[in-house]
Amino acid sequence: MRPRWRKVLSDLIDNKARTILVVFSIAVGIFAIGVIAGAYVIISEDMGLSYAANNPSNIEIRMDDFDQDLLNTIRNFEGIKEAEARRVFNLKVRIPGETQWITVDVVSMKNFDENKINLLQPVTGGAAPEKNQILLERDVLEELNISPGENLEIQLRDETIKEIIVAGIVMDSSTGAIDFLAPPLAYITSDTLKFFAEPDQFNRIFATVETGQDDDEHIRSVIADLTDKIEKNDYGIGRTFRSKTHEHPLEPTINAVLGILMVLGVLIVFLSSSLIANTLSALLNQHLRHIGVMKLIGGQNQIIFRMYLVQLLVFGFLALLIAIPAGGQGAYWLAQYIADEMGFSLLGYRIVPLSFALQLAVGILVPLVSGFIPVINGSKVTVQKALDGDRVRRSSGEDSEGKEEGSRFEEIQVKTTRALADRGIRIPRQMLISLRNTFRQRGRLMLTLFTLTMGGAIFVSVFNVRDTLHTYVDNIGNYFMADVTLDFERPYRLEEIKQYAYQDPRVTHVEGWSYASAEILFPDGSTAENISILAPPGGSDLVSPMMIEGRWIQAGDVKKLTVAEGIYDYYPNLEVGDTIPLKINGKEEYWEVVGLFKFIGLEGVIGYAPYEYISREQNLANRSFSYRIEIQEHDLASQEVMAKDLDAYFRAQGFRVQEATPGLSTLDSAAESLDILITFLLIMALLTATVGSMGLAGTMSMNVLERTREIGIMRAIGATDLEIIRMVIVEGLLIGLLSFGLGIILAVPFTYLLSNIVSDAVFATPIAVVFTPAGYLIWLGLVIILSSLASVLPARNAARLTIREVLAYE
Amino acid sequence: MTDFQSPLIELRGVVKNYVTKAGSFPALQGIDLDIYRGEFLGVIGKSGAGKSTLLNMITGVDQISAGQVRAHTNGTSVNLDQLSENELTLWRGRNLGVIYQSFQLLPMLTLAQNVMMPMDLSGFYHPRKSKERALELLNMVELGEHIDKYPSEISGGQQQRVAIARALANDPPLLVADEPTGSLDSVTADHIFKLFQRLLDDNRTIIMVTHDQGLLPRFSRYIQIADGQLVGEGIEL
Repeated sequence: MRPRWRKVLSDLIDNKARTILVVFSIAVGIFAIGVIAGAYVIISEDMGLSYAANNPSNIEIRMDDFDQDLLNTIRNFEGIKEAEARRVFNLKVRIPGETQWITVDVVSMKNFDENKINLLQPVTGGAAPEKNQILLERDVLEELNISPGENLEIQLRDETIKEIIVAGIVMDSSTGAIDFLAPPLAYITSDTLKFFAEPDQFNRIFATVETGQDDDEHIRSVIADLTDKIEKNDYGIGRTFRSKTHEHPLEPTINAVLGILMVLGVLIVFLSSSLIANTLSALLNQHLRHIGVMKLIGGQNQIIFRMYLVQLLVFGFLALLIAIPAGGQGAYWLAQYIADEMGFSLLGYRIVPLSFALQLAVGILVPLVSGFIPVINGSKVTVQKALDGDRVRRSSGEDSEGKEEGSRFEEIQVKTTRALADRGIRIPRQMLISLRNTFRQRGRLMLTLFTLTMGGAIFVSVFNVRDTLHTYVDNIGNYFMADVTLDFERPYRLEEIKQYAYQDPRVTHVEGWSYASAEILFPDGSTAENISILAPPGGSDLVSPMMIEGRWIQAGDVKKLTVAEGIYDYYPNLEVGDTIPLKINGKEEYWEVVGLFKFIGLEGVIGYAPYEYISREQNLANRSFSYRIEIQEHDLASQEVMAKDLDAYFRAQGFRVQEATPGLSTLDSAAESLDILITFLLIMALLTATVGSMGLAGTMSMNVLERTREIGIMRAIGATDLEIIRMVIVEGLLIGLLSFGLGIILAVPFTYLLSNIVSDAVFATPIAVVFTPAGYLIWLGLVIILSSLASVLPARNAARLTIREVLAYE
Repeated sequence: MTDFQSPLIELRGVVKNYVTKAGSFPALQGIDLDIYRGEFLGVIGKSGAGKSTLLNMITGVDQISAGQVRAHTNGTSVNLDQLSENELTLWRGRNLGVIYQSFQLLPMLTLAQNVMMPMDLSGFYHPRKSKERALELLNMVELGEHIDKYPSEISGGQQQRVAIARALANDPPLLVADEPTGSLDSVTADHIFKLFQRLLDDNRTIIMVTHDQGLLPRFSRYIQIADGQLVGEGIEL
């Protein structure tokens, strides 16, 4: 090997710690990019394919009970390719002997073998249930530990408890995809309906369209025509859903979340480049003498430049060796995790060419770009500067600007110290040295501060975003303030239910609510979107809306509603006082919008109208199917106990209870979905913090290394090991705390930016930003620990050297 | 044998000023000097007199503030102050060997690799040839048995001999030595001077900077510098 390459190799091998530091800092960025880009591609490809492979319905209609005749009519309807009818009802199930019931939506089908829409994929056990058997969707396993062949206990509406055999576990990526807050699913054949005391009738239509399966507009128009037809046949329609064949309903949301992670990944690459630039500047600084010697004996600029360029490429290559396999695995792991959560399957592990190419480009370009300036400066240095180092710069006056700045800082330091001393405050000498040392290498300090500050700002922002999202979900909870929702199979008088409910001393408030389903129409009469109109009594205590404009509903309102801002998707210029056409109870009417409020955009459009009006229109005045109950304790545990007790109590009194649900359960599952997102954001935040602390560790070791001789002199004149260590640690802490100060300022715009992007992706609406001290305090603790750790090792190494070794150091 | 007819290096009115916070500091104040082929020139002076600065002007390591340094080597004549940094590097690689008091060996390379490095950087020798030549040179400085050792594994005197071997790698006509024996004991220093004598016999030119007046008898000619000026000159026989 030629001596020049032997030198490059020796530089890489001899200082393993530095090589590892640089390689890992590049690898972290490549890894992050690889994971996110890989997962993005895998999910984009597999989510749509996996979803389409099960022939998902383009249209789902929830409606009154119907029979085969109507199904045949729908099958023959123009624009419909395939249509299947099912009965869906909810039920409580549990493992025999256990106390915890969970609610599932049971789907009955005529014939599993002939099923063509929303296909099921077998996971374990049988793929189709026999008579009086049940299939479970794998989501059920998250709450119940049960296997095929085992018995499941079910509670019928009349409280009868029966046992049924679990035939198998299946995956249904279509039926539940559209409504991720819905309970998990179970499947039976139609001839098992009798076992569940359910009528042998359908209540849902699942259909695909003949053409334009990925054309939202076309599907919408087919639905409008089809619902017209159904309503003309005197069937009431509850709600309609539409989805494209090749796009999972949640794909835009997941892509948006992955987009956010990608932005953070790019930021990590950016931070690691500043770390590389810092390390390489220090490396070239340490190699100045070598460069000088090489130039003295005939090494031209371009030769020196090439030598260090190769070194950069080796750094990149080594980082790629680590990051490409790890990134590939990480990408698949992330995609698998998302697939599991969202209920679709992946096509299998594979190398994603785009991700590979990106990693390769980052691995080569990042060290080259970030190291280019240090290397070009290093190779251009004159022999004399290189051989004499700092001594020449100071004596020749060529670095006069920096020197003056340094002097100015020293002057300020001296003046401050004197002023403090006059007031009897003495700063220890070692502390003064630490302070001065911190600002000696200003370029290096800036890059380290930048890396650590960015890491800290992202870390703190993620905590703020987490609280922002949770606060928003809590605020959404203000629309569902009831502790228990008690639904009946038939309407009961308000006074009657209240009288019974108040028998329990825990019950503090009872309200009867009504509900109406309607369609928002465009001015031309075509259907824009479904709207669920909730009808609490005017002046209800159980709704505390986040109003954007206008007012909340009042008891005397007639054909007036407040509507969620999701309406802007269809009426972008809507203002309070405007009227919008609605199709309600089969009639087209104009309703006045009296207020607009914030809600989760992805959950469709909801509106509120007073119970007093809706119940009268439904001929249910002073009666209701659904009651909202407030109790003394508002935690989920109390709500669950109360729901169970009320369920049992009302059944015992002869009421036909359909379901009693605790208020926080739905919110909890929404919060869980958010926690997945927050977990990913936190992982990214930790990666940035890691890069930041690696930067600090590198800087501290370089600072100490460059001052080895100085440390030797200090020890020679009496400084103890402890004093040396303390000086270095104080310097590290000072940098850490400076970055903390800057980080908390930078965290403010970061929090706003990140919150807006995330809320837009998750809630489809901007939300109010919340700042929490948690992130600041954790980061402060981390910064103190990281700064101390980053300084301890170099400080100990410096303290361990003998005076002779240190003074002989070059 | 010294050829006093044609100088190898000519210095005319060489001035070097350093700018410090306290003002301009003249390190060299109009030096006129001719250095001839085959001579062993001693540059004598106290610490801070300007000896090393003068050497830096001759090697092109530092830029002159005024005046001219002209070199006539390998059949060409050049003004060093008109060469770019890269051209100076090339010129040094071909014409000059430099030896420092602190040896300036690259610690991560073996002795052989250190000697091969100038040949590798200048490209004057094929890699295989350069290894043979490095062995020859190390044998000449009596270190043939230590070629695979690292600088840290040998003594100071031995390191200086490696530095001499390295300085000779590209077969330059001129060797420049800055206090080469400054950190060596008298026996080892004697060894280095014997080596210099062999090089002089081989018709090379050596310029050596020292503060040690006792070394005067070693030189064929010497100049004395004080406060950046030539204050004396002499010939030892």
